[in-house]
Amino acid sequence: MMQTYHQIARGDTLLAVDHVSLSFGGVKAITDVSFDIRKGEIRAIIGPNGAGKTSMLNVINGFYHPQKGQITFKGLTRSRMRPSVAASQGIARTFQNVALFKGMSTLDNIMAGRTLKMHRNFFWQCLRHGPAMDEEIKHREFVEDIIDFLEIQAIRKVPVGKLPYGLQKRVELGRALAMEPDLLLLDEPMAGMNLEEKEDMSRFIVDVNQQYGTTIALIEHDMGVVMDLSDRVVVLEYGHKLADGTPDDVKANEDVIKAYLGVAH
Amino acid sequence: MQSQEKTFPQLLMRNAALRGDRPALRHKYLGIWQTWTWSDVAEIVRSYAQGLYDRGLRHGDTIAVIGANRPKLYWTMMAAQCLGAIPVPVYADSVAEEMIFVLENAGVKMAAVQDQEQVDKVFSIMDRLPDLQWVLYDWGRGLRDYDEPRLLSIDQLIDGGREHLDRDPQTIKQLDDMILSGRGTEISVILYTSGTTGRSKGVMLSAERCIAAARDSVAFDKLNENDQVLAYLPLAWVGDHYMNYAQGLVAGFCMACPESADTVEQDLREIGPTFYFAPPRVFENLLTRVMIRMEDASGPKRWLFHTFIEIARRYGEKILNGQSVPFSGSLLYALGEILIYGPLKNVLGFTRVRVGYTAGEAIGPELFSFYRSLGINLKQLYGQTEAFLYVTVQPDGEIRADTVGPLAPHVEVKLTESGEVLFKSPGMFVGYFRDAEKTHETMTEDGFVRTGDAGFFEPESGHLKIIDRAKDVGKLTSGALFPPKYVENKLKFFPNIKEAVLFGDGHDYVTCFINIDLTAVGNWAERNNVSYASYQELAGHPDVYAMIADHVEDTNRILSHEPMMAGAQIKRFLILHKELDADDGELTRTQKVRRGFIAERYAPLITALYDGTQEADITTEVIFEDGRKGAISARVKIVECEIFPLATKEKAA
Repeated sequence: MMQTYHQIARGDTLLAVDHVSLSFGGVKAITDVSFDIRKGEIRAIIGPNGAGKTSMLNVINGFYHPQKGQITFKGLTRSRMRPSVAASQGIARTFQNVALFKGMSTLDNIMAGRTLKMHRNFFWQCLRHGPAMDEEIKHREFVEDIIDFLEIQAIRKVPVGKLPYGLQKRVELGRALAMEPDLLLLDEPMAGMNLEEKEDMSRFIVDVNQQYGTTIALIEHDMGVVMDLSDRVVVLEYGHKLADGTPDDVKANEDVIKAYLGVAH
Repeated sequence: MQSQEKTFPQLLMRNAALRGDRPALRHKYLGIWQTWTWSDVAEIVRSYAQGLYDRGLRHGDTIAVIGANRPKLYWTMMAAQCLGAIPVPVYADSVAEEMIFVLENAGVKMAAVQDQEQVDKVFSIMDRLPDLQWVLYDWGRGLRDYDEPRLLSIDQLIDGGREHLDRDPQTIKQLDDMILSGRGTEISVILYTSGTTGRSKGVMLSAERCIAAARDSVAFDKLNENDQVLAYLPLAWVGDHYMNYAQGLVAGFCMACPESADTVEQDLREIGPTFYFAPPRVFENLLTRVMIRMEDASGPKRWLFHTFIEIARRYGEKILNGQSVPFSGSLLYALGEILIYGPLKNVLGFTRVRVGYTAGEAIGPELFSFYRSLGINLKQLYGQTEAFLYVTVQPDGEIRADTVGPLAPHVEVKLTESGEVLFKSPGMFVGYFRDAEKTHETMTEDGFVRTGDAGFFEPESGHLKIIDRAKDVGKLTSGALFPPKYVENKLKFFPNIKEAVLFGDGHDYVTCFINIDLTAVGNWAERNNVSYASYQELAGHPDVYAMIADHVEDTNRILSHEPMMAGAQIKRFLILHKELDADDGELTRTQKVRRGFIAERYAPLITALYDGTQEADITTEVIFEDGRKGAISARVKIVECEIFPLATKEKAA
């Protein structure tokens, strides 16, 4: 089964975002936002279009570098880092628009998620037998476990470009899981799905969280889903933090209601 | 020597002793076929039985088995039978309310279920099942945080039993005694009927009768330990219990469990079963898919396919039956085998099939011939849960599409005056569980069982022909025969038509509901630039109507060639706005049409079919997969079709 190392106990802060500001030229995407993600929780980031949610995720996994503020992940503080470093530290993500290798099979796509865990060099990889093969078999077993978990056995060998959107999303989740991440970032995992697909995906997110103990941060527009799934919610608007708390707190927060529903003038 | 074993556990122990190293069970897990030999299975089942015993399962208790075809669920049945307890397989896709009836009626003490979905279902009705003590699960995903004292994993139980057996030699002897003392007259399993005609009933089958029936059919088809089957049909269906479980234990062949319900097609290809059993619906779906894929193929390939299928149609069946064909015919057929039939069978997973059966519903003659013409030895049998399957069966060389064959070995049949078929068979049931009244209704005084099917023996061949359910066969006001299923099967041979429901009993003419096949029609729509957003929209599309009308008229033309059936031509039809669904009670769990219910539910549409209007409104309640309810309303068009005069006159002109 999957092994995540538990240096940090459940409930402690896994990742802290500290007074982060990000701007592109004159456009301020994020202004002085702070929040934390605790080990083992499902944390939702919500907000209207353009609120800076995806930018926030990009900051967390090192794709954007904030001008101000810092990020502490597993006790390590950093202000600049590359996505590859974030990945090797245990942050995995899925994208708003599916970013899979379209021509490759489901299996190969998920295997790609194991790349960082493969240690044999090019020489061994070229041989048909030997340690690289043993390693491959070990990883394959792990990947098959994920395939079983996500119930995508039937599409194991199908090129992902031929799959319907809902299944592609599931494959992408599988690839992220293959990294055995400590923190899983999901950017709108349910965008464009029908009701049934959404229900399936919600189920998988909860199961990943429970079974593997993976901490999850997700961006989602479907409020029903967000309120059901997440332990805590942070609300952004125009790059500012509007509210932070349990789903019930957030639902009752007047600023949030204003931002989402507008107010009578 | 063979007849010593009276129960399935005794057969299991015999197989472990006789062919311990032969594969007994396979299951694809983590992408690899895992294999258990007969001795592995015997060891696991013994441990499991001890585990069940330790948790309080005793002789005569019932245990529900709910889920897909997975090794642990088959082991549950064997382990329970070791103790003299009675397994009760339940259709895994039944919703909680349907399940209540079976679990309540059977008074189950334990339930072995596949996964979280089934666990949730069982716990949701727990308060109505006072006897239920333990819920055992196979697959633990999502169950980790369940705080339920009555929940146990099957692995835990097997390990516990194994440990107990290792620790205490006394228990080994006790378990051996229990297995050896199992009597053949005891109830071995209770199979609930699918309930085509109302509430399902628990059919009690005794061990010795089950085994006697399986021995007959194993000998009949010369099955042995080298055979292989893919067990993919519902556990609760007699077909699976007989073909795979009973025959497997008697003949000692290997049963393979698919990876998941969606992968059956791939698994079939990988396993390459030698013995294959499927209801007509499965063959129909396969054919539909092949035809769709051929439509998408390039021109030359299409030409090749259709040319050789035509050759197969002409000579294939004759060659399979050993009749003589012209030399050019066998030459062309051999070429076709290389170019088309061989590869096609390989894709379908039928390359190694030695014997294939279809049963459960009448199969369209065209469909049946199609598979036989490819060289697949597909045969028909007629049977019932109450018979523990075989009543009639077609021996090699006497295979016909339009009959279900002569009597199976050791079966007696007689017909009542009204044409109802009565039988006495080796595997005959003992009675309905906790329903003496129904048992009494079904069994005649001289020990025959009523089938409820109307049929007759063909005088020249002695083959039985089943027309329809006795109560479904009707008459039009003109006095012409109205056999709904006969016509529906003709319609369903068109890939575009998934389901048809005929009406006409007591009316002036015949009318029909049609369900389009979304895969086939969707594909057609794509190729013809017909855009649609939903099933409902596609079903109501004028072009779709025109296409279906052609199909109906073709069917009428065929019927016009048959003097007995010419009166049953369809005058008016409509395409339903939703798919008929078992969740809405329109089909049984084995996907048979529930006529009476449909007639009631769609009464306004039937009225419209007969009052001459061109359109009708209908609102129906639907139940979604998660149990929520909704309503669909639609305006449905009605189309009129041409009726052909009896063909003999046409020829004269």
